[in-house]
Amino acid sequence: MAKLPVSVDKIIEQFGPHKSYTPKEGFEGNFEPDKIVKTHCCFCGMQCGIQLKVKDNKVTGFEPWMEFPFNEGRLCPKGVQRYLQNNHPDRLLNPLKRVEGVGFLPIEWDDAMEKTVSEIKRIQNEYGNNAFGMLSGVSLTNEKSYMIGKFARVALKTANLDYNGRLCMVSAGAGNKKAFGIDRISNSWSDLEHAEVILIAGSNVSETFPTLTHYIWQARDNGARLIIVDPRITPIARTADLHLPVLPGTDSALFGAILKILVDNNWLDKEFIQNHTSGFNEAVNAVKDYTLDWAEKVTGVKAEKIQKAAEWWGKAKTSFLLHARGIEHHTKGVDNVLSCINIVLATGRIGKPYCGYGTITGQGNGQGGREHGHKCDQLPGNRDITNPEHRKFISEIWGIDEKDLPGKGLTAYELIEAIHRGEVKGLISICFNPLISLPNNSFVREALEKLEFYVSIDFFLNETARHADIILAGSLHEEEEGTVTTAEGRVVKINEAVTPPGNARRDKDIIMELARRLGAGDKFNYENSEAIFNELRIASKGGTADYFGITYQRIEENMGVFWPCPSLDHPGTPRLWEDKKFATNDGKAHFNPVPFREPSEVTDNEYPVVLTTGRVVSQYLSGSQTRRIGKLVDQYPQPLLEIHPELASKYGIKDGDLITVATRRGEANFPAQLVETIRKDTVFIPYHWGGKQSANQLTIGTLDPVSKIPEFKVCACRLVHTGIKASDKLKETAYQSY
Amino acid sequence: MAVSEYNQEMEFFVDMQRCIGCHACEMACAECETNGQESMIHVHYIDRAVSVQTTVQVCMHCDEPACATVCPADAITKDNFGVVHSANTSRCIGCSNCVLACPFGVPIKFEESELMMKCNMCYDRTSAGKKPMCATVCPSQALYYGTREEIRKRRPESVPVNTFKFGELEVKTKVKIMMPKGATKIIVD
Amino acid sequence: MYRLVKTLNRQALVNATVSIFVVIAIVIAGSRNLQNFDAALVAYLFGTVFAVFGIAYRYSVWLQRPPTRLYWYRSWQFLFSKNFIPYALRSLKLFLRNILLQRFIYPRGKLRWFGHLMLAVGCVLAFAITIPLTFGWIHFTLDPNSISTYNAHFFGFVVTSFELGTPIAVITFHALVWCSVIVTIGAVIMLRRRLTDGGLIATQTFEGDWLPLFLLIAISVTGIGITYDYTFLQGRTHQFMSVTHAITVILFLIWLPFGKFFHIFQRLAQLGANIYKVEGMKRGMAVCPHTKEEFASITHIEDLKNVSKKLGFDFSLKNGGSHLDLSPEGKRSALAKAHYKARKESGKFFG
Repeated sequence: MAKLPVSVDKIIEQFGPHKSYTPKEGFEGNFEPDKIVKTHCCFCGMQCGIQLKVKDNKVTGFEPWMEFPFNEGRLCPKGVQRYLQNNHPDRLLNPLKRVEGVGFLPIEWDDAMEKTVSEIKRIQNEYGNNAFGMLSGVSLTNEKSYMIGKFARVALKTANLDYNGRLCMVSAGAGNKKAFGIDRISNSWSDLEHAEVILIAGSNVSETFPTLTHYIWQARDNGARLIIVDPRITPIARTADLHLPVLPGTDSALFGAILKILVDNNWLDKEFIQNHTSGFNEAVNAVKDYTLDWAEKVTGVKAEKIQKAAEWWGKAKTSFLLHARGIEHHTKGVDNVLSCINIVLATGRIGKPYCGYGTITGQGNGQGGREHGHKCDQLPGNRDITNPEHRKFISEIWGIDEKDLPGKGLTAYELIEAIHRGEVKGLISICFNPLISLPNNSFVREALEKLEFYVSIDFFLNETARHADIILAGSLHEEEEGTVTTAEGRVVKINEAVTPPGNARRDKDIIMELARRLGAGDKFNYENSEAIFNELRIASKGGTADYFGITYQRIEENMGVFWPCPSLDHPGTPRLWEDKKFATNDGKAHFNPVPFREPSEVTDNEYPVVLTTGRVVSQYLSGSQTRRIGKLVDQYPQPLLEIHPELASKYGIKDGDLITVATRRGEANFPAQLVETIRKDTVFIPYHWGGKQSANQLTIGTLDPVSKIPEFKVCACRLVHTGIKASDKLKETAYQSY
Repeated sequence: MAVSEYNQEMEFFVDMQRCIGCHACEMACAECETNGQESMIHVHYIDRAVSVQTTVQVCMHCDEPACATVCPADAITKDNFGVVHSANTSRCIGCSNCVLACPFGVPIKFEESELMMKCNMCYDRTSAGKKPMCATVCPSQALYYGTREEIRKRRPESVPVNTFKFGELEVKTKVKIMMPKGATKIIVD
Repeated sequence: MYRLVKTLNRQALVNATVSIFVVIAIVIAGSRNLQNFDAALVAYLFGTVFAVFGIAYRYSVWLQRPPTRLYWYRSWQFLFSKNFIPYALRSLKLFLRNILLQRFIYPRGKLRWFGHLMLAVGCVLAFAITIPLTFGWIHFTLDPNSISTYNAHFFGFVVTSFELGTPIAVITFHALVWCSVIVTIGAVIMLRRRLTDGGLIATQTFEGDWLPLFLLIAISVTGIGITYDYTFLQGRTHQFMSVTHAITVILFLIWLPFGKFFHIFQRLAQLGANIYKVEGMKRGMAVCPHTKEEFASITHIEDLKNVSKKLGFDFSLKNGGSHLDLSPEGKRSALAKAHYKARKESGKFFG
């Protein structure tokens, strides 16, 4: 059913990606805009404040927003260019339907809705409600995230709803819930400023969260020591006081060894451990054999470096530990996170000024989007869908019988596997491009091709939507009001700058219309985004992610409010745990034993090289937006294979040679970039591209047993020289995902 | 023509070692009204094969600009605020003397339009009391626009230096580079 | 007065004086000992003579600046080399393309190019008509054997004849009106840009950018006024019209050597710069020791070393090389490396 209706070239010709540039003399009217709208960047979890200039219902440019406290006007290249996603030639202006042999043709909304709803009903009647799944994304606002959670359970009546946060920070979320009972960074970024030691594990901050760099540099100006754990020397690591080039997949060994050193040297906060934590002895016991020599052997990091890191961390009075996808994208992602938390708890440096810990959430609303119920096991307020009390509370708010509320569904990658097995027959997706962002994507493509019906809501025809039967033209970030929660837990306001162009509609209106046609119209009767937010406030009340005290007005007045904020007179909570009352059952922070285990795939004679993946500064995730912005594409036009010259020489590889990288999942060709800034046993490929140059053709789809995050960050590969230099054509067309 | 609100207490400070090579400044520079979507700032790797070190270069606005001195067409001028302006479009003959003589490698020759353009520190913004685009957006604050007092407070271990030695030649500039405390000049040889 | 003269540039003064003698000589020759000279245009002639003096003076001063002199010398040297024919052809092509059609402005904006083209075409045409008229080189007489046939004389010789009322007569006698219209269109386009382009608004000056446009519009409007007067007002306001027109034109001529319009004469140097570049490439390219890539001609780098040294910028390094041997990227990298070294040696990258 869902193979491409015409050749990929034809689809690209019509729907892009095409590169968009600002005209030489600027967009018409940019010098004298009708209005300047304060809002936020549509990309990463920093959610930098930005002002968009609008003329004749088009975004024509931006003006830095100097007053917004997090970024004070600072932006990364994606933020500077974000305005170009508006006013874009690829923008979908009509709903589309797939026509075999022809491509995608515009249709009326009524027809698109009718077809969608009749297919949903047909599939659900034939195979059961759970045979229709839904995939969502956390670039969506809190309002939409909440609404989609409700839509899937109440209107679509399926358990199988999950989201792309599953590929983002679920390992951190699961680890944080285990250790603290709340899934949020413990501090606002301002606590970085005077931390004595900052340890960053698995985060290429300078490329993935460039505006956070300011806080780290500021801390260093104030004398902080910076320790970076990363197999590559990234720009943030270049001048770091200590760089630990860890072998991908061995982070928990490193942190286990550090914990042991802390214990051996008594660099502990015994009072804190005694009174406010549990499980310390078990955690220590699990690492008792993790000597420096052992750790050096496993992680490939020199013993003295590990010793030094432990010493700096152990002796510091204030500290901040940050991690991101580098340690989370593993089959032991949760373990890695817990091993970090263990060293934070051992030194008791949390819940105090300049003492912090947390994950750096990746996606725009990675924080808020993972709290309000569009996760397969979750209900709003970060409630548990398997908890009877939680089910009852939410069912009452939603006005449904608790028995009708579906239970826990499949996680994102499991959902794809279920589609592949033929158990799930229909799919609706919004704001998710799994064909690029999921591992082993040949498998994902096969799954998509098996779907009986696939409907995608999006503003551009992304690579996955090329396989859709119906595409519903939704709204861009700047076309709908709402709130998002930044990576530091600050709830901020996204303002509508323009209305959707052509016949495109706001996502909210599309979901509401679908709900109405599915017979749940009475439950989806929102006048505006604020009405949804007000329902979310009530639904989150009493949950761990409590938004009850946050209103649109308060957000606007204070340029954001930090949750938890349980009442209207509550000031919000920039720093958690100051009272040392943790949100776990026993009120204590939990140590967890983390015995080291290997990644799901290790190198062998056949596949002797470690492959890891990541991002570049000019692209964002699956690139659906950023591969359409000319200057961002030109900055880094195609994925390169970063390889150390020593490893390269074994294969006779020279800079610019075209190299086949093969894994057990597939193979693809990439130009080699010889750099001394990577481990000698590891190669790196960024993953933002689709088609033949997609790194995720190679990655492995094994999952963490708890968080179900795929192991993007480590697998085994083989390098084969193609014997030729990489061509310019490859470079010039990479962004289009042939 | 426009009433100038140039605030001469505001100074431009550069520290290339803070640069993370993200190119935000480059993208933002193109938004400056005076250069018509062309970027005047330079960001690049020093030697990517061995390091991710990048450098970022704005016009240093020399007290005695070599670019203006070697210009055969008198196209480059320095104003009362010490800003060395981009080539006067009616005079520039596109000879590239300035491009090759600037010790900081700043001016850019646009071959098609037979014209040199260079950073004028966002004159449209600075003359209206705003900060230059690049220094506003720079996420690492490798580019910093503020008062001397502000930078002293923020970076007490560094000093702004504006004297450069190229062999025997000494060049002084309006823009400062942040150096370790005690430094008085940067020696390039 | 004496002090003023003393501050003048002697060589330029000589050149300028010679120029005005040449002008006077060709006026006399072209008007057949002034017999064809139109006395009504004498004010214009004085204005023109002044302008020639000023332009020649400023041009001479300009050429004495070492970088300009170098380009001047090299341009002629390379043009009159064994490659004279290709370079002459190339220059002719570029003259058509960039000086007449102003194509080099096109990449910076279509409307900008069109506006400037209108200004340039209008002005050049107007010069081509008024200068020969003012100098007495061209004049018109009624054919002795006819009451409606006009003869056009050039240097006293009849070059063409035409009937009154024919299109060619209308075009010829109204040629300046057409020029005025073209110039006005161009000036209005350029004025509009100066009102709406944020970059121009920030950097423009009244005397440097607005005054020239006002002056061109004033000349055009008063010029059209003369025609309007004798076509529709039976010459009732002739005196007023012709005086105001003369004032604007003479102001323009007097200002020509000093203000923005001087670029009309400087623009030709663009052709020289082009030959210099092409010949330089032939003679060999310099390779940057940092980027290992070609970036400019060796000739250019060596010339620049000499010129900049003369001007007080000696970029020689202690190792015997020169900072100018580096490409712009190489220079930026050299500075970054020096900075890195200083930071590294201090033990502190931050603070």
